[in-house]
Amino acid sequence: MTAAIWQYVLAGVVVGAIYALVAAGFVLIYQVTGLINFAQGEFAMIGAMTASALATGGMPTPEAALIAVVVAAGVGGLCYVCAIRPARAAAGVTLIFITLGLDVALRGLGLFVWGTNPLALNAFSAGNAIQIFGGVLPPQAAWVLGTDLVVFAALYLFFRHTYAGTAVRAAVANPPIASTFGIPLRTFAFWSFVAAAAIGGLGGVVIAPITGATYDMGLTLGLAGFVAAVLGGLDSLPGALVGGFVLGIVEKVAGGLVSTGWEQGVGFLILVLVLLLRPQGLLGRAVRRA
Amino acid sequence: MEVFLGSGLAYARIGLILLVLVAAIVWFVPSYYTGLLTLIALYALVTLGLNLFMGYGGQVSLGQAAFFGVGAYGSATLATRAHLTPWLGTLAGGVLAALLAYALSFAVLRLRENLLALATLALGIVVTVAFNEWDFVGGSSGIKDIPGFALGAYVFDPRAYAILAWLLLLIGIWFAGNLVGSTYGRTLIAIANGELGAQTLGVDSVRLKRQIFVLAGAYAGIAGGVYASYQSYIDPTQFGFLLSVNFVLMSVIGGMRTLWGAVVGATVVVALTQILQTVVPIVLPSARGDFQAFFLGAILIAMLILLPRGLVARLSEARA
Repeated sequence: MTAAIWQYVLAGVVVGAIYALVAAGFVLIYQVTGLINFAQGEFAMIGAMTASALATGGMPTPEAALIAVVVAAGVGGLCYVCAIRPARAAAGVTLIFITLGLDVALRGLGLFVWGTNPLALNAFSAGNAIQIFGGVLPPQAAWVLGTDLVVFAALYLFFRHTYAGTAVRAAVANPPIASTFGIPLRTFAFWSFVAAAAIGGLGGVVIAPITGATYDMGLTLGLAGFVAAVLGGLDSLPGALVGGFVLGIVEKVAGGLVSTGWEQGVGFLILVLVLLLRPQGLLGRAVRRA
Repeated sequence: MEVFLGSGLAYARIGLILLVLVAAIVWFVPSYYTGLLTLIALYALVTLGLNLFMGYGGQVSLGQAAFFGVGAYGSATLATRAHLTPWLGTLAGGVLAALLAYALSFAVLRLRENLLALATLALGIVVTVAFNEWDFVGGSSGIKDIPGFALGAYVFDPRAYAILAWLLLLIGIWFAGNLVGSTYGRTLIAIANGELGAQTLGVDSVRLKRQIFVLAGAYAGIAGGVYASYQSYIDPTQFGFLLSVNFVLMSVIGGMRTLWGAVVGATVVVALTQILQTVVPIVLPSARGDFQAFFLGAILIAMLILLPRGLVARLSEARA
């Protein structure tokens, strides 16, 4: 029994790492624009599908992965320019609906471009399964966790140690004042979409060898990303990381012990509980009432 | 009081004309179109409740399909297991959905905008998962052979369903029309325009939001009850997140803060889906599956940017 649970935990860590990446993109956009982007999961779908389709066509995996991330980032930028910026003066609810429309439209587009058949992507490196205290992980798991490490380290360095990162933090802390200091809020909003889409796309690329890639994978990933982000407090990148892993582990353990159908249900029950009991998230600071 | 009676009479007149129109149409058109008309009326009934909650009340729900599903499952389960007639089953479905909304209101209505959207979305998905996992209601294979409506010895045919659905819709519009035409409706709009301001003027906003959420749940539940009997087969995939998105789409297209907008929105979305399913494969032979979803998403975005108050509001502005 313990061995089985340990195996569920390990599986949870792997999916949790992807949830954390999706959640990171979600938090980036939320911090900079105050917007909940329901299309976040579709960026991961675009990354996974592009990479898998290119690799199936014979392109070496590293090139395919790179192009996939660039495509996802481009789509993210386009989403902002075509759908979000024209309506930026609208009330909060309108923007939520717009990102909802983006989610539906991107999934439809994915269906058009790649069809309904699942695509596969080879693992990035050959090798035997990784053994940890009797549990087993696929070799690709090392790439997944490594990606998390690199992405979150890069985000940390950007926000703490670069001039641009400091400017973004200023813009988040107090938009009007940051604006009077010449910080270009709109440009930041654009780049937050690009960066969030690139990170989501990268997440899709690294998980594709484990889960496969389908046009409708974005909804599940996006929803899990929201839960992870809310767990972490919506506006905290470390929170997104922790939230992702917590959600992944809880889902897999609950799914293994109760039934796989409840995997998603458990995540959403947690979401509702967190929203009600601790809206600032597990790691969040004091509640910010908008 | 004048407004109350006046609008009530106006609704009754337009309603009667529409009902005669629907009855005439279903007599002549093939049963396929009759089915679409039924679907439009049932979806419009859900959207109507959503308009009250989102448009007039200024709230947001991304989980309305759950209440529709609870109504359908409630009615179907009672009909297949307790041999209740669909009439009582539909009523029970509406009550069940209203009760669920009442219970949930204590939790979710404390939240606003972004977080309310997330919470209602989450609850909607939890309900779908529960349908899937609960064997008593058929699990993932759903409920088959749901008894149809009957009046005495007369078993409903598609035409009768269309008339029933439109009758329910018109009663729903009439009731909602009286509601929004009264002080109650103006109080609701006051909450939408600024909850804090409304509270300062002595409005019990929490109570009002709860009442309207419950009413929207009841509308969806009743529509779901009729839907179950009309389809005679339901499964969890019919009540998922995408249906909730479709309800939002209908609400936005028609105009959230209108009542007839629900009818217009449901008609446009159902008709558009049908047209796209026919046209897309001809224009783009390589398109597969539900590619028309792309257009529905794009239309939702375009509407919100170009006509954020919806078609009906736009038309009444042009006339004024």
